[in-house]
Amino acid sequence: MFQVLPQPIEDILRVLEYWDHILAGFLTTMELYGGALVMGFFLGLLLALLRQYGGIILSRIATGYIEIIRGTPLLAQLFFIYFLPYSMNSILEAQGLSPIPIGKWNIQTDIIILDRIITYTIFDHRMLVGLLTLGLNSAAYQAEYIRGAIKSVGTGQLLAAQSLGMSRLAAIRHVVLPQALRRVIPAWSNEAAYLPKYTVVVFFIGVVDLFGEAHFIVANTFRTLTTYVFIALIFLALITIVSKALDFIHKRTSIPGV
Amino acid sequence: MIRIVDGWKSYGDLQVLKGVSFEVGEQEVKVIFGPSGSGKSTLLRCINMLDPLDKGEVYLHEQNLIAPGVNPNMMRARIGMVFQHFNLFAHLKAIDNVSIGLRRVKKLPKEEARAKALEMLGRVKMAKWADHYPAQLSGGQQQRVGIARALSMKPDVILFDEPTSALDPELIGEVLQVMLDIAKSGTTMIVVTHEMGFAKAVASEMLFLDNGIIVERGTPQHFFVSPKSERVKHFLKQLDILYGSHKELLKRSNEEESK
Ligand SMILES: Nc1ncnc2c1ncn2[C@@H]1O[C@H](COP(=O)(O)OP(=O)(O)O)[C@@H](O)[C@H]1O
Ligand SMILES: [Mg+2]
Repeated sequence: MFQVLPQPIEDILRVLEYWDHILAGFLTTMELYGGALVMGFFLGLLLALLRQYGGIILSRIATGYIEIIRGTPLLAQLFFIYFLPYSMNSILEAQGLSPIPIGKWNIQTDIIILDRIITYTIFDHRMLVGLLTLGLNSAAYQAEYIRGAIKSVGTGQLLAAQSLGMSRLAAIRHVVLPQALRRVIPAWSNEAAYLPKYTVVVFFIGVVDLFGEAHFIVANTFRTLTTYVFIALIFLALITIVSKALDFIHKRTSIPGV
Repeated sequence: MIRIVDGWKSYGDLQVLKGVSFEVGEQEVKVIFGPSGSGKSTLLRCINMLDPLDKGEVYLHEQNLIAPGVNPNMMRARIGMVFQHFNLFAHLKAIDNVSIGLRRVKKLPKEEARAKALEMLGRVKMAKWADHYPAQLSGGQQQRVGIARALSMKPDVILFDEPTSALDPELIGEVLQVMLDIAKSGTTMIVVTHEMGFAKAVASEMLFLDNGIIVERGTPQHFFVSPKSERVKHFLKQLDILYGSHKELLKRSNEEESK
């Protein structure tokens, strides 16, 4: 029917032919993003609590961790964690011990949609390194946001809870955190919006995420600009949805005066 | 019933309490007053062990609270506290502010805690406001909820730290009324306040704290009629200018005019 299509539309259709690759890449990116955000949240919460309430030694350790992560490049952290098991293995082998079987961790699944079979790597050592790096990195940033919110709750709340006979831990759990976690949402949205863009570093250790698939598509179609603009739009849509969702949650959970 | 013996406390180089001792009997109301920065709040926090004393002891029913092996949380549940700035839990409705201690410390079931909390709110005439958040209440209402929260634990003694000094003048009365009610119903109270009317009505003894030392002690009658030390006289005179019948102010302005 269409003998001659305008060039841009032809380009887009050419790229969209690789929708199975785009989907696989998107799933990988989402897995890294979701995993790192959740891991970063729980570890960040722990770091924030330790830094705020942990006493001299623990709070120093938490502070040190946060400063090191925030003061070094993400890519360096990625390579460090990526190569760590390899250097450990050479040490283990030199000692005559059996090495960590990194290559064997691999869970794949075939997703069949329409006529395509998508072989999706749910988990392998590269994904693990990516998840760990992004999670450990995000934790440092999330910790600072959470700590800021904890500090803003004020010591009077803690004193009042303790004056009722609550232990410090119970007071933190039942009084400080419910307020701090509500207050942290706007600042925390920043991290939720930054993190998807940082996930692309995993390209350097061979994880084929959305960005990696883009390379593949470009190599096969030579539609460079179209491909990257398309990928960028996917990130834009994702981040917009996440921001709106967090806005909504913030409004729904808000309490007058908190 | 509650006794503090030779309490000392410093923050860094600043010696805030310098050997404070006194005792409060069953159903007794003691009023502590004195200039700002004299250590009144610190004293209350130390009695409650929210801040540890550097030296000295606190006894509750002859039990040394500072002795090793005593669980400070359990002891604190027996000592209520009402704060100058209310310190209501901002994320909880009035009713939940009052029931949280019953739920989380006394481990009462939800419904029972709620019923008791409602009863306490009734005592401070706040039952109608049970489902409001602190930010939706006036200062006087918040402080009454704060009192209900302290009462809910049925403590042996309640410490009040200038409960009306953060309030607008027209809201002071409702809080003092509640405090009078609970004092008359036999609650043991240690009250830091400059409300001399309240002191006169219910205090069995008043302590004047200055610079971390109890400078003078006696009945309200003693302080109002024949205070001994110059510092007390001077302080009471200033209070009279601030809160009193403005006799002093009038006298002063007359003096100014006649110059
Ligand atoms: N946590 C603290 N850290 C350092 N200094 C404090 C602390 N609490 C109180 N102070 C100081 O101790 C002194 C007495 O304070 P406070 O007990 O609040 O007096 P008051 O309640 O009689 O006004 C003040 O000089 C105050 O600055
Ligand atoms: Mg004070």
